[in-house]
Amino acid sequence: MSEGVNPSPKQTLWGVPFHTNNVIGGLIVVALGIVLLAYALYVPSNTTVARFMTAAAIVIGLAVAAGLLPVRSPRDFYGGIVLALLAILALIASAELPGQRGFAFGPGTAPRLFAILLAGLGAAVALGGVFVEGPQIEKYKIRGPVLVVVAILSFAAMIRPLGLVPATFITFIISIFGSTEMRWLESLIAAAVMTVFCVLLFVWLLNLPFQLWPRYY
Amino acid sequence: MSDLLANLAMGFGVAAQPYNILFCLLGALVGTLVGVLPGIGTVATIAMLLPITFGLPPVGALIMLAGIYYGAQYGGSTTSILVNIPGEATSVITCLDGHQMARNGRAGAALSIAAIGSFFAGCVATVLVAALGAPLTGLALLFGPAEYFSLMVLGLIFAVVLAKGSVLKAVAMIVTGLLLSMVGSDLETGAGRMTFDIPELADGIGFANIAMGVFGFAEIIRNLELPSESRDILKAKVTNLMPTRQDLIDASGAIARGTIIGSLVGILPGGGAVIASFAGYTLEKKLSKHPERFGHGTIEGVAAPESANNAAAQTSFIPLLTLGIPPNAVMALMVGAMTIHGIVPGPQVMTKQPELFWGMIASMWLGNLMLVVINLPLVGLWVTLLRVPYRLLYPSIIVFCCIGIYSINNSPFDVVLSASFGIIGYWLIKHDFEPAPLLLGFVLGPLMEENLRRAMLIARGDATVFFTRPISGGLLTVAIILLVLAAMPKIRRRRDEVFVE
Repeated sequence: MSEGVNPSPKQTLWGVPFHTNNVIGGLIVVALGIVLLAYALYVPSNTTVARFMTAAAIVIGLAVAAGLLPVRSPRDFYGGIVLALLAILALIASAELPGQRGFAFGPGTAPRLFAILLAGLGAAVALGGVFVEGPQIEKYKIRGPVLVVVAILSFAAMIRPLGLVPATFITFIISIFGSTEMRWLESLIAAAVMTVFCVLLFVWLLNLPFQLWPRYY
Repeated sequence: MSDLLANLAMGFGVAAQPYNILFCLLGALVGTLVGVLPGIGTVATIAMLLPITFGLPPVGALIMLAGIYYGAQYGGSTTSILVNIPGEATSVITCLDGHQMARNGRAGAALSIAAIGSFFAGCVATVLVAALGAPLTGLALLFGPAEYFSLMVLGLIFAVVLAKGSVLKAVAMIVTGLLLSMVGSDLETGAGRMTFDIPELADGIGFANIAMGVFGFAEIIRNLELPSESRDILKAKVTNLMPTRQDLIDASGAIARGTIIGSLVGILPGGGAVIASFAGYTLEKKLSKHPERFGHGTIEGVAAPESANNAAAQTSFIPLLTLGIPPNAVMALMVGAMTIHGIVPGPQVMTKQPELFWGMIASMWLGNLMLVVINLPLVGLWVTLLRVPYRLLYPSIIVFCCIGIYSINNSPFDVVLSASFGIIGYWLIKHDFEPAPLLLGFVLGPLMEENLRRAMLIARGDATVFFTRPISGGLLTVAIILLVLAAMPKIRRRRDEVFVE
């Protein structure tokens, strides 16, 4: 399996050396942290712990961008940081829920418990990424993910107003563009066959209440 | 013993009803199909078909889903032998000797030994599931909430230690799954938790949305960026399906040993069919008088892993059916399927719904029989299907998944949600996080929280109860020992080697 991007190129700007990947990665962490911090400040309940944790993440992000903190395994480092940020998000989102009352757990106890656990685990994974040498992040591709997601979202948008038949057919055609090997005739035939198959299976055989064609037609 | 026979008889009575036979056959065929086709995993398929099973009676639905699982173990070997590409992860090792046998013109013998080995393993495992069901269930019924919580912790830790990849990252994934499972209304107070005021999230995140996003869509996105593989399908017609007497003698030992090791590995959480096939092959190579023949088309090299993976696929139902704890991602999906039909997996299934429990077990044996009878003659058909290119396959899967998700609640929001989980899953793959523990955590989440809360309430807020109660303390101690062992450098290296091999 190819290991994607080359080690990040070392460049200099105004005499200061920097690694492009670290700057981008660090700044993304900072940006996510700022969004979280804003959310924590917006929520009326007490989010002191979450604010401190977010601030720590922002500082770490800045340190990485400035080249002060080496990232030996970007895959683990950023993976761990994002999980920790997710945990902080959960912490803020469950801040307003009542916690322990007497011996009984409140609705907020378990989420906060596991959020703190996850924050710790994420930090540990990230720490491993600082100290242990590891592979670069595999390069993200654009075409496949975008077209697959667009196809799925367009299905969600079309199914109510347009009905099953157009939604299925168009989704099939959009998603087929995700591959670079698409051929028109073959794709159109396959899309038609699949549409017929789905109608037969879901509507005729399974008797699910689908609307087949556009409303008002 | 007579109880066992009576129960099995009842099970066969249920499984032999025409409808259930039909579902079993359907499941086995679909399973074989996805097993044969590389690029479609068992987990994704079962997730895809979950919505379809909603309309079916629960017994039929579960029989069909189970059929898909062991059918896939079966089908995977066909692709391994004929094309040298594993149709399933469990058949990776079958490529080694299976394809060599095919090159030597013995594809028929390899296919039939794989089938016979699988069938034998399936029979033994079915009996094992039936025999272990009652005592384990009895044990589980003695458990209180504290013990149950600890048991789930142990199960999850086991699943992590025996799976490939970093233990720390896998534990992080479990906790992520637990957190995701808490989105939505609180079970006791009804308070909305972490819903961000989105009304659609008030009921929680649907299990099918996560499963299809992370396993279905993410896998497709992932496959799209890999270079398309050339499928060098064996042109020669497969003839001579019957193995010779010598083949059977050579393979019998390997089949027996593969079955034993597969059954044992299958019961352990986390292991499942993949490890079983590797363990079966490695053991056979170690015991063989001619280890140098392995990799050059020896029949033991096909018989052992194929028996082992089928045995493991079936015995992995044991923890699910008796304790209610899914040992791997496929079983987590089965929990989802059971929950959707209003069945809470666990020891009470056997006592409250014996026809479901025994019917499912009996159907496994029937399914295995069908696989042998049907599949060998159908090899030609499966090979033809292999010629369908992935560029046409994946849009079909996407469309199918979309309709399936939408049909669960008639909600376009669910479709959007699973698309986002597709992206999350893609990100997870890029950062080398395994999605399976996330699903396990998500499925066990509500159960864990409930038992945690109950145990704490009974103990009047004393958290030490998990260690002071003997069974619970013992289970947690084992879990901690496992974690420490897995973290030790020497053992970690050994573990990495096992998974690289």
